[in-house]
Amino acid sequence: MATALQDRTAVRREGRPPAGSGAAPLERQHRRIFWPFAGPALLVYAVLFLAPIGYAAWTSLYKWDGMGAKQWRGLHNYQVLFGDPAFRTSLLNTLEILVVGGAITFAISLALTLVLREMRARLFARSVLFFPCLVNAMVFGIAAGFLFSPDGPVNTVLHWLGVAAPPKWLATDNLFPMIVATLVWTATGYYTAIIMAAVDQIPEYLYEAAELDGASAFQRFRHVTLPLAWDVISVCAVLWTVSSVKIFELILMYGGSSSNQPPVSTWNTAMYVYTEAFPQTSAPQLGMATAAALVSLVMVGVITLALRRLMRRTAVEY
Amino acid sequence: MRIARAVVWVVVAADLLLILWVFLTSLRGSSDIFAHPFGLPTDPQPGNYGRALNEGGFGRAALNSVLVATVSSVAAVALAAPAAYVLARRRTRTSSALTMTFAMGLGVPGQVLVVPLFIGLAQVDLTDSLFGLILVYVGLAMPFTVYLLTGFFSGVPAVLEEAATLDGAGPLRTFLQVIVPVARGGLITAFLLQVIGAWNETLFALVLNHSENKITLPVSLADFVATEQLNGMDWGTMFAGVCLILAPMLALFSWLGTRIIQGMTVGIGK
Repeated sequence: MATALQDRTAVRREGRPPAGSGAAPLERQHRRIFWPFAGPALLVYAVLFLAPIGYAAWTSLYKWDGMGAKQWRGLHNYQVLFGDPAFRTSLLNTLEILVVGGAITFAISLALTLVLREMRARLFARSVLFFPCLVNAMVFGIAAGFLFSPDGPVNTVLHWLGVAAPPKWLATDNLFPMIVATLVWTATGYYTAIIMAAVDQIPEYLYEAAELDGASAFQRFRHVTLPLAWDVISVCAVLWTVSSVKIFELILMYGGSSSNQPPVSTWNTAMYVYTEAFPQTSAPQLGMATAAALVSLVMVGVITLALRRLMRRTAVEY
Repeated sequence: MRIARAVVWVVVAADLLLILWVFLTSLRGSSDIFAHPFGLPTDPQPGNYGRALNEGGFGRAALNSVLVATVSSVAAVALAAPAAYVLARRRTRTSSALTMTFAMGLGVPGQVLVVPLFIGLAQVDLTDSLFGLILVYVGLAMPFTVYLLTGFFSGVPAVLEEAATLDGAGPLRTFLQVIVPVARGGLITAFLLQVIGAWNETLFALVLNHSENKITLPVSLADFVATEQLNGMDWGTMFAGVCLILAPMLALFSWLGTRIIQGMTVGIGK
C-alpha cells in the first residue's frame, strides 16, 4: 500500500498525466501488474542472494565451526584475518590478478582489436579467440598439468629446439605466474570481442578522414578508436574487477592437483574462503571464511567506484 | 602490421590445435599418450569414453549437468522475464531502485554467498540434492538475467502493447502473446548464457553436492583427477572426461556462436 502511494506520487512528480485519464490505459496496466510481475523474481533474489549476503556479514562477526554454538568475536575476526599470512598472500594474489593480469589482458585486447579491425576473416579469428571463455577453467588447469609436466610435450618440443634446461613450469614458485598467464589467455578473447563490438559502431568515415590527414594505424587507434570506445572499455574494466575476484576452479585444479589443496602461494581470496570454510582435515572456520569473503566484496565495491570515477569522461558524440 | 597479423593467426591456430589435440588424445591409450604426446590415434580407443562414462562416473554426472543446467535456466528466464519487462516499462522511482538492486548483484563474487547458502540449504535438507543446486543457480542467475532482459525489453516498441491493450487483451495475455514472441531472441540468448554458466559452474557444485549420483560434470572431473593421482593417471579416460565437458560448449558455440557472442558483448556496452 505504501509503495503504491509512493508510486503515484513519483508519477505525479514526473509530470505524467494522472492515471485514469484515459490517455494511458497501458500505463495503468503496467502499474497494476508491476508487483505481480516483479515480485517472484524479487522474492527469489531476496531469499537466495540478498539475505545470504546479510547472513555472511553477520557470521563474519563470530567464531563458528558450523555445528556448535556461535561465539561472538566482533571485528576481531578481521584483525585476525589480516594477521594471517595465508590471507595476506591470498589478498595480494587477488590484487595481482586484478591489476597485473588486467593490465596485460587489456593491452593485448586493445592490440588485438587494432589488428583485427583491418584483417580478413576477422569474425572467424574473433570466434576462435573467444571460445576459451566458454570452457570450464578446470580443463585448462588439467591440460597445463599434462602439457607442462617435466617430461611433457612442451619440454619435449623445447628439447628439439635445443633448449637444454627448460624452466620448471609447475614448480611451486612458478605456479602463480602460470595461472595468471593462462587466465590472460582465456580472458583476452572475451574482452577483445566486447571492445570489437564497440569499435564496429564507429563510423567508417572517421577512419577515412584520419587516413586522408595522414594518420598512421597507431594514430588512428589513439585518436579515433580509443576515445570513441572509451565508455565500453571502462565498463570492461569494471567487469574484469568482478570476474577476476571470482576466479576459483583454475587455481583449484592448476597442474591437475585436487587431492591436496593447491599451495598457499597460488591462493586468491576465493580459494581462501573455500579452504577455511570447507577444509579437508581441520574444523571449518566459518567466521574467518565469511570475513574474507566480505573483504573481497568490499574490495570489488571500492575498486568499481574508483574505476568509475577515474575513467569517467564527457561522452564523445558521433 | 603484417607481423601482428601473423601473430594473431599463430594464436588462433594454437587454440584450434589445442582443442583438436584434446579430442584426439581422448581416443588414445595412456602409455601411448605419454610416449608420443602429439601422435594421432592410430589405434583408436573409443573404450576411453565407455570407461569415463561408467567407471569414471561421468555418465551420471553428465545427465545431472544437463538436468541442472536446463531446469535452472528455464526457471531463471521464466522468473526474470516478467520482472525485466515491468522494470523496463515503468519509469518510477521504485522501479529504478529495483533495477539498481538487481544490477548491484552483478558485483557480488560467489564466495560471499557460498557459506550462507550452504548453511541455509543444510537447514532445509537441500544440500547434496539436485533441487538444491538448481535453486542456487536460479538465485545466482537473477542479477545478470534481469539486467540483460531489462535492456532487451527496453528496445521492444510499446506500440505493440498499446494495440493489444486497445483490443482488450489483459496484461498477462499481452505479455505472453505479444511481448514474449517479439522478445524471443533475447529470451533465447538469456537462456543460452545461463546454460553455459550453469554447465561450467564449479564452486557451488563442489561445495553443495558430493554423492556419486548427485554431482555434476565439473565435480566429477575434479574427483576423477583426485583418485587418479593416487592410482596413477589414466590420461586417456581423463581426456575423454574433459571432452564430455568441452564438447557441448563447442557444439553450442559452433551452432549459435554469433548469438552467444552478441549476448555476452553487446548488452555490456549499453
